[in-house]
Amino acid sequence: MAVRKITETVFNIGTIDWDRQTFDELIPLPDGTSYNSYFVRGSEKNALIDGVDPDTIEEYISNLKSLNVDKVDYIISNHTEQDHSGTIVNLLKLFPDAKVVTNKKCKEFLMEHLLIEEDFFITIEDNETISLGDKTLQFILAPWVHWPETMFTYLVEEKIVFSCDFLGSHLATNETFSSDDAKVYDAAKRYYAEIMMPFRPHVKKHLLKLKEMEIDFVCPSHGPSFSNPSFILNAYEDWSGDNVKNKVLIPYVSMHGSVKAMVNYLVDRLTQKGIRVELLNMTKKGLGELAIDAVDSATIVFGVSTMLIGPHPTMLYTGTIINALKPKTRFVSLVGSYGWGSKAFETMEGILNNLKSQMLTKVLAKGYPKEEDFEKLDVLADEIEARHIEIGIL
Amino acid sequence: MDKYVCTLCGYVYDPVNGDPDNGVTPGTPWEEVPEDWVCPLCGAGKDDFEKE
Repeated sequence: MAVRKITETVFNIGTIDWDRQTFDELIPLPDGTSYNSYFVRGSEKNALIDGVDPDTIEEYISNLKSLNVDKVDYIISNHTEQDHSGTIVNLLKLFPDAKVVTNKKCKEFLMEHLLIEEDFFITIEDNETISLGDKTLQFILAPWVHWPETMFTYLVEEKIVFSCDFLGSHLATNETFSSDDAKVYDAAKRYYAEIMMPFRPHVKKHLLKLKEMEIDFVCPSHGPSFSNPSFILNAYEDWSGDNVKNKVLIPYVSMHGSVKAMVNYLVDRLTQKGIRVELLNMTKKGLGELAIDAVDSATIVFGVSTMLIGPHPTMLYTGTIINALKPKTRFVSLVGSYGWGSKAFETMEGILNNLKSQMLTKVLAKGYPKEEDFEKLDVLADEIEARHIEIGIL
Repeated sequence: MDKYVCTLCGYVYDPVNGDPDNGVTPGTPWEEVPEDWVCPLCGAGKDDFEKE
């Protein structure tokens, strides 16, 4: 695969994984992904910023050869996760004089995960720089976007920030820079939702730091780079900011049609009120769709079938994922049905303990919903409307 | 004295034990733990802790 030129002395020599379908054995990748590794040529020293997933090592080495990289002095590790760090071991064999440059925590993790010996490291502190001769690399510690050891690297003279997973997207593309903004927006939002959203306060903090810097290019470790940094920085500001949209996310499972009748009724009522709904049948939709809509929905209503007293396992999964992703959702509710007995709501509420949302009226029907259940759904719809008006989004 | 839990990694600060390895003597209530103290497990700041 061809090397992609960022500037005269900076190249993306990473690899493109067109076929990859899941990440962490959990996250679906509808658009594949790429692992970006950047080569920076200085007048005296050369640096590589992050590596690639070891599964694509052959393509990576071929890229290194095609750029005629004969010397690497520094291997910068912004993040320990193996899709970026896994090839450091191979690089150290190819370039035995190279040093791995990273922060203390990342060094500790690399030693634990990749069994790299301490002698290979140069440990840097926040804001410290190293010189490549005519170029300077500055390191900005960015803990918790999305591991405790994550950091950014800034190429001072060229105003390029290498942000690793932050601002990235799972998108297999041979484009150097994003040219299809709509496609990249969706992929980046999905990535934010799945990877960065649990750390929203930290996202905001690091975003502010970046906004104060002069940046001409943003080069993340997945997906295309950005020659218009404000596009991705503004999108992140929107997603991580405190504002929510006039939107109700309704993930549900209906085993015999009762829950479906309830959520359909609710969708009708909310539509009449001018409130946008995202209705996700969780037996047909995945984590990605759930996460994307959780980013900015003001309200989430879980539609829960009862199976053997508890929630249908798919809704248990849905609740667990939402709880782990910690969206900024303001209001939450449960609607559901059961045959002869149910602890489904208690269990769901128990697993949603991370949410700082206000619980609205819950509606639990015995069997198919009756008149009084539909009346309660009216109450819920009215409450959602009132709350959305209260916070100024309707 | 209340215990505080790190919302990022789950470490629990127990004032009875303090964190003597990092200069917080046993018996130090949460309010008196220095502002620049970080979670000994994951490095998160005090802001990331919640009352257990």
